[in-house]
Amino acid sequence: MPESESGLDFRRGMIDRRLARTRRVLLVMSGKGGVGKSVVSAALAGIAAASGLKAGLMDADIYGPSSALLFGAKGLPAEGESGLVPPVLGGVKVMSVDLFASGRPIPLAGSGANEILLELLALTDWGNLDCLVVDMPPATGDIMLTLTSLRKDDVRAVVVTMPDRLSTSVAHRVLELLKSGGVTTVGVLGNMVRGSAKGKGTGPRKLAEEFGVPLLGQLPYDPSVSRAVERGNIESLLQTKFARALRRSMDVYLSGMGRSSSRGAG
Amino acid sequence: MHELSLVQGIIDAVGETASEKGGRVLSVKIGVGELAQFDINLVRGLLNDLKKGTSLEGARITVEPEKSKVKCLSCGKVWNFQELAGPISSDEREMIHLLPELLNSCSRCPSCSKSYFEIEEGRSVRVIEVVLDA
Repeated sequence: MPESESGLDFRRGMIDRRLARTRRVLLVMSGKGGVGKSVVSAALAGIAAASGLKAGLMDADIYGPSSALLFGAKGLPAEGESGLVPPVLGGVKVMSVDLFASGRPIPLAGSGANEILLELLALTDWGNLDCLVVDMPPATGDIMLTLTSLRKDDVRAVVVTMPDRLSTSVAHRVLELLKSGGVTTVGVLGNMVRGSAKGKGTGPRKLAEEFGVPLLGQLPYDPSVSRAVERGNIESLLQTKFARALRRSMDVYLSGMGRSSSRGAG
Repeated sequence: MHELSLVQGIIDAVGETASEKGGRVLSVKIGVGELAQFDINLVRGLLNDLKKGTSLEGARITVEPEKSKVKCLSCGKVWNFQELAGPISSDEREMIHLLPELLNSCSRCPSCSKSYFEIEEGRSVRVIEVVLDA
C-alpha cells in the first residue's frame, strides 16, 4: 500500500550529521541583550583554539550579528563540495549571517530568522570540531528552541548575566527553560561585575546557587574590551584583563574537553 | 556549489525515512525555488548521479521549478522575485542564492516600500512528496 510523506525537512538530518562530528556544542546565552554574550562567545572560542582545541563559532544572533566584526571576518564564505567553508581567524572557524549581509539590515518577519539559522547549520562544513561555541540571540524564541532541541547529547549551555536585577531576572527564566528542557548547564558566568556585586547572596552567585549549577566566574568590567573590539581582531580581545579572567573561569572545563574524546567534558 | 550538499541531504533524508518506515521508495517530488536561483538541470544531474546505490535508485524522481511568492505583511501585496521594487546587484543575487531570506535585506515591498514581508513560496530546494511502498 503506497504511503505518502510530505513536508520532509531534510536540513534537520544534515544538521545532525554535521554536528555528529562536533564533540561539544556550547550555547552561550542570557535571554537579555547587552550583557556581553557575543564578546564572551568570541573570546571563549578564541581561548579554546589557543588551548589547542578545534574550535568553531556560530553566530546565532541573526538579527544583530557581531561575530564577524569581532573576528574581522569579511566576504561570502567559499562554496566547497561539502558545503559552505567558514573562514578561519585566530584558529576559529567562524560562521555568521553577516558574512552574507555585509552590514545590511536584516529585517525578518515570522520564521525568517530561524530559516536562516537552519540553512547555515545545514550548509556549514565545520569538519571535525572539539567545540562549537554558539553566540545565542537575546530572547527565548524560535532560535533558542531550535538550538536547545538539537538531536545531540552533547549540547551544553553557559548562562551569562550581569549582576543587576534586570539581567539576573531574565537569566533566571533561561535557566528554568534549560532545566525543563533537559539541557545541561555548565554554569553561570557573571559579566561586567564590580567588587561589591561578587558577594554571597548577590547576582550571578545567587542565581547559580538557586539552580545548583557552578558559578564559573565573575568577569570584571574592563574598558580595554571596547578598544579591542574597535581593532576588530580576536588577538586583541584575548589580551584583555576580561579575556584572562574568562580563561581562568573556563580553564577546567576546556581542559576536560581536551583530555578525552571518548569521555568528553561534562 | 552548495547544491551538491543540499541534494546529498535530500537523498540521505529520503533514505532515512524509507528505512524508518521499512518501505521502498516509489517516487520523490522535489521543488526548486526561484529565489535560490539554482540551475534546475544541475539539480537533476546531481540527483541522477548521487542516487546510484541508494534507496532512490529505482524511484521515479521529478524535479519542478517553483515560482516565488512574497507577501507584504504591512499592505498585503503579493509579488515575486521578478517584480522587485528596484534593481539588485550581482552580489545581492549571490547572497539570496545562498540565503534566500536575505531578500529582505536588499528589497522592499513594490507597493508600500516597507521591508516587512515574508517569503511564502519558492525559497529554495525542498522535498514536496515522498511516496513509499510501505
